[in-house]
Amino acid sequence: MEYIFHLAILFSLFAIFAIALDLVAGYTGLISVCHAAFYGIGAYTTALLVQSVGLNFFFALLIGMLLTGIVALILGLVFSKFKGDYYVLGTLGFTYIAYTVFINWQSVTNGPLGVPGIPRPEIFGLSFSNSWSFLILSAIFVGVVYALARFVVSSSFGRVLRAIREDEEAIAIFGYRTSAFKLLIFIISAMSAALGGGLLASYLTYIDPGTFGITESIFVLSIVILGGLGSLRGPVVGALILVLLPEALRFVGFSPDIAAQMRVLIYGLLLVIMMRYRPQGLLGEYKL
Amino acid sequence: MDILPQIILNSLIAGSLYALAAMSFNLIYGVSRSFNLAHGVFATVAAYAVLFLAFHTAIPLPLTITLGILMAVLLGYLLERSIFRPLRLRKASNLVLLIASLGASIVVEALIAIFFSSQFQTLSSLLPPFGTLHILGGTLTDLQAFIIICSVVVLGVFWLVLSYTRFGKAVRAVSDDEEVAKIVGINTNAIIGIVFMIGAGVMGLAGILAGFDTGLEPHMGFILLLGAAIAAVVGGVGNVYGAFLGAFILGFAENFGVFFVSGEWKYAIAFGVLILFLLFRPQGILGKK
Repeated sequence: MEYIFHLAILFSLFAIFAIALDLVAGYTGLISVCHAAFYGIGAYTTALLVQSVGLNFFFALLIGMLLTGIVALILGLVFSKFKGDYYVLGTLGFTYIAYTVFINWQSVTNGPLGVPGIPRPEIFGLSFSNSWSFLILSAIFVGVVYALARFVVSSSFGRVLRAIREDEEAIAIFGYRTSAFKLLIFIISAMSAALGGGLLASYLTYIDPGTFGITESIFVLSIVILGGLGSLRGPVVGALILVLLPEALRFVGFSPDIAAQMRVLIYGLLLVIMMRYRPQGLLGEYKL
Repeated sequence: MDILPQIILNSLIAGSLYALAAMSFNLIYGVSRSFNLAHGVFATVAAYAVLFLAFHTAIPLPLTITLGILMAVLLGYLLERSIFRPLRLRKASNLVLLIASLGASIVVEALIAIFFSSQFQTLSSLLPPFGTLHILGGTLTDLQAFIIICSVVVLGVFWLVLSYTRFGKAVRAVSDDEEVAKIVGINTNAIIGIVFMIGAGVMGLAGILAGFDTGLEPHMGFILLLGAAIAAVVGGVGNVYGAFLGAFILGFAENFGVFFVSGEWKYAIAFGVLILFLLFRPQGILGKK
């Protein structure tokens, strides 16, 4: 039973990351591979504030999201000028830079050793320390993020985003400042990812730089691409499949090290197969 | 500044490896018009092929290295036939090609990690101990001197082939405009296939040299690819000579940057260079438009 709760929690957290990424990649057409960096910033800020400063988890989470928002604002000012392949290259670069900071800013992040002993959330005497209560908490947050994303994409703002995705020059001619739209959705997406990151840190109770590297960014991208770019149900379905699928390997009996590599292998293979045969994903409406 | 000559030499060594990677990257980009993020695996596969053959068979070293490069060439052919060509024929967008190549890259990387472990391994024990050369107050090993020579030789060969052979003219025609090249009777798919194999071979050479100079780990090719992609953008995407120039600019920026801050910030410096160029000169130094 604990195991099922564990998988359900992982699924919820990756659904949050995937919905967040889909806002940028699926709805706006900007393939970003730096979302692990954003949820990393959220995770580190939340973890450090709770653990070393003793702040309440939810307050720390909020600060983590704000800080991520500020980083996304600065980055977005640069990235909003790029598109297509160059956008991928730029965001790829940021993933490595963020990883470098996590691993080298030892006085704050504790470097490669990571941050152990992160407490579970607590509010008004209510503790989310066991699995089922944490599952309820993450389910609530998935609901909030989903509703927020639904609101964003069905608003007039969301329609402009889709127009940017289809033809940025055309919508710019109508007087929309496309870079402002791209910047804003980038910040919203990064902050949602940071929300999931804070939860992840608290759930795992231990984080290290490896949790937020390029492999994880690609993992989240695989989820969105499998589920379908430009649909909100897509990333949720994608997260369900890609969180559960590698678990099957556990029962086949591979050693943990090999199983971890097999996991990566599956994501990579899925990316290739989806691009080759169904680039719009299972439920997507945006065909790359 | 008695350390200055050494920094310059280090920049040249790093630049030469990037140059091999970036020239082959840009050669392929020129004809296929898409970022091939699987370019790094050619280096990784070649280096691991040498590792495997040298430690598990009795094949002499020069033949091992040749076979390693041939493995990369073969992989280049396979990837082009199984992934890139079908997608090109379907007129898939650049992003589809890019994501597919990223997927292919992590698949090969994971396979290598499964068969050879993700541990850092070295090839240097296969060679006699490196001699050192002293130049203008700095030192480099004879292998490192060989790396620098390799990059210049490959540049020269690319220049000769691209300028003076029928094949080179065809490559340039495809790079200029694939449709027009097809109309005048060039078998563009064959040209692109051969270019993939040549590019993969040169990248394989870079991987083997890097394996002898420092060592191997499954992610090595991807790191080399990132350097190549940055050098390509700096020099001008799709331009082989630009790649050579961009690679040395990157090598110098990294090594002088590392001298002023510290070694751990190498990625940050490299991507800082990339972002500066993307913002202020996206076509690169030798790029057109």
